Amino acid sequence: MKLFDPHIHMTSRTTDDYQAMAAAGVAAVLEPAFWLGQPRTHVGSFEDYFASLLGWERFRASQFGVRHLCTLALNPKEANNPALAQGVIDLLPRYLDKEGVVAVGEIGFDDMTPEEEQYFARQIELAREHGLPILVHTPHRDKKRGTERSLSLVRELRFPEERVLIDHNNEETLPLVLDTGCWAGHSIYPDTKMDEARMVALVKKYGAERILVNSAADWGVSDPLKVPKTAALMRESGIAEEVIERIVWRNPLAFFAQSGKLDLAEFGESRSVDQRALFQGSSVLRGQAPIIR
Amino acid sequence: MRDVSFLLLEILDRRIRPGDRRWQERVEGITGIRFSEGLARTSFVTLPDFDRDGFLEQYTAAPRALGKGQLALGAAELAALRSAGVMWSIDGWTIDQLGRVAMLALVSQRLSPTELEWTLSACYCHGDSRERQAVLRALPFMEWAERFIPLAVDACRTNEVPIFEAIACENPFPSTLFPDLNFNQMVLKALFMGVALGRIFALDRRRTPELARMAEGYASERRAAGRSVPSDIGRITPYREEDRATRIPE
Repeated sequence: MKLFDPHIHMTSRTTDDYQAMAAAGVAAVLEPAFWLGQPRTHVGSFEDYFASLLGWERFRASQFGVRHLCTLALNPKEANNPALAQGVIDLLPRYLDKEGVVAVGEIGFDDMTPEEEQYFARQIELAREHGLPILVHTPHRDKKRGTERSLSLVRELRFPEERVLIDHNNEETLPLVLDTGCWAGHSIYPDTKMDEARMVALVKKYGAERILVNSAADWGVSDPLKVPKTAALMRESGIAEEVIERIVWRNPLAFFAQSGKLDLAEFGESRSVDQRALFQGSSVLRGQAPIIR
Repeated sequence: MRDVSFLLLEILDRRIRPGDRRWQERVEGITGIRFSEGLARTSFVTLPDFDRDGFLEQYTAAPRALGKGQLALGAAELAALRSAGVMWSIDGWTIDQLGRVAMLALVSQRLSPTELEWTLSACYCHGDSRERQAVLRALPFMEWAERFIPLAVDACRTNEVPIFEAIACENPFPSTLFPDLNFNQMVLKALFMGVALGRIFALDRRRTPELARMAEGYASERRAAGRSVPSDIGRITPYREEDRATRIPE
C-alpha cells in the first residue's frame, strides 16, 4: 500500500529518514511552510526558505523515490512580527502559482492575536485568488477555541469548506470539524497531539471520510514513520484495508488535487530514482554508489 | 529605580575577582559611571557619545570576564533587595548575568528612549541564548518599560525553555505590563512546557475567568486524550474532584 504523509517538515530531517520512509511505503510527502524553531527577522529569510522547499528539498526527496509537494504561507507565529509579516504576504503571490505548491499553509492561529487573525484572513483571500485550498494549523493552547474561531472565519469569508484542511485535531476538535465540510488532519506524535491508539479509536468512531493522518515530524521529538505505524495499528485493530488506504493515500491525494496541480494518474505510478542527478551541482551522495531504479 | 540599580552594582562589585577589573573599567568608561560611586539620577541623555559598539562588545564579553558562578546572595543582600522592592528572586542568576543586567540598568537611566530601545534590541536580536535571557531579566529595571512589551511578548514565542523561563519565571514584567491576551497565553504555555506556575510572579493578581476557562479547556483536552493534568493547574482553575484521578504526583 502506498502512503502519503500530508504534513512533514523534511527540511529538518535527514536522508536516513527519507530512506526509512521510502522503505516503509511512504511514496509522497507534503511539506508545509512553517516556523523554523526560532523566529526569522528578515523577509529575505523567507525567500531562501521558500526556494529550498521548491528546489533543494524536492530534489532530495526525488533521490529516494519520494514525491515532494509543499504549501507556502506566512505562519501564525511569525504573523505577529510587524517587521516582516506584510513583506512575506507581498512575496506570496509570486510563489503560490508555482508547480508543486498545492495549498496555502500553514495558516491559522497560535496566540489568537488580532494580527494572526488579520493575516489568516488575508491568506484565505490569497488562496481564493490563486485557486488553492488551505492548510490550517490549530493552536497548542486554547485549542478548542482556536479551532472554533478558525472554522467560523472560514465560514465568515465564505471560503469553500471542502477546500479547507484543519490540522492537528484531537478528540474534542474532530467532531467540530466533521460537522462542517472541512477535512480533518491528525498529527501522530510520540508525546503530544495524537497517538496511534487514540487515532484507531477515532477512526472506529468516525470512519474515514475527510480524515487524514500525518507525522508532523520536524526538528522536535517526532517520528517520520508515524503514518506507516498508524496504518499498521489500524490493520492490527481490524480496520478494513480499504478504509486504511483511504486515510493514508486517497484522502490526502483528493484534497490536494483540488489545487489542479496534481496528475493523479502519474501520481499513482512508482517513481524512478536516479541518484546520479545533481541539484545545482550538488548531490545527496557522499561517495556512495548511486542507486538507479 | 535608583536604589535598585545601585544595589545590583554593589552586589556585582563584591563578586568581581581582582584580576577581572578590566571588564569593569571598560564598562565604566562606556557608561560614564563608576561602580563604587553608584548611580546619581540625572537628566536623560547624559551619554551624548554613547559607544554602542563598545557596549555590545562588553555585554557579550561578560561571561568570559566575570565567570558564570552562582550569585549565592547573602542574607543582608536579600534583605536589601527586598526593601528596594525586588520582590522576585534573582538568586538563580549567575554572575555574568548580573553583569549584563547591571550594564543595561546603568545605561537605562542615561540614554534617550530610542537609544535605549536600539541597545536592548541589539543585545536581544544579535544575542545568543544567554544574552537574550539577560535582556529579559533586565526588563523590570528599565526606564520606559512599556516600550519593551512587544519584545517581551515575542520572547514568549520561543521554543527554548531557558528563554521562556527568563521572561515568564521570577520576573515581574509580564504580570505588571502584559495585556490579558498575552499574559494568559504565557501561562498556558508554561503549563504546556511543564514550567511550574508557582514561578510566575504575581500570578494570583492576574487570575481571571478567561484564564480559568483556558485552563479548564486544557485540562479537558488532556482528559479526553487519556493524559495527566498538571498538578498546579489548580492555581488558576477551581479545583474539580474529577481531576484527582489524573493528577501527577508532586
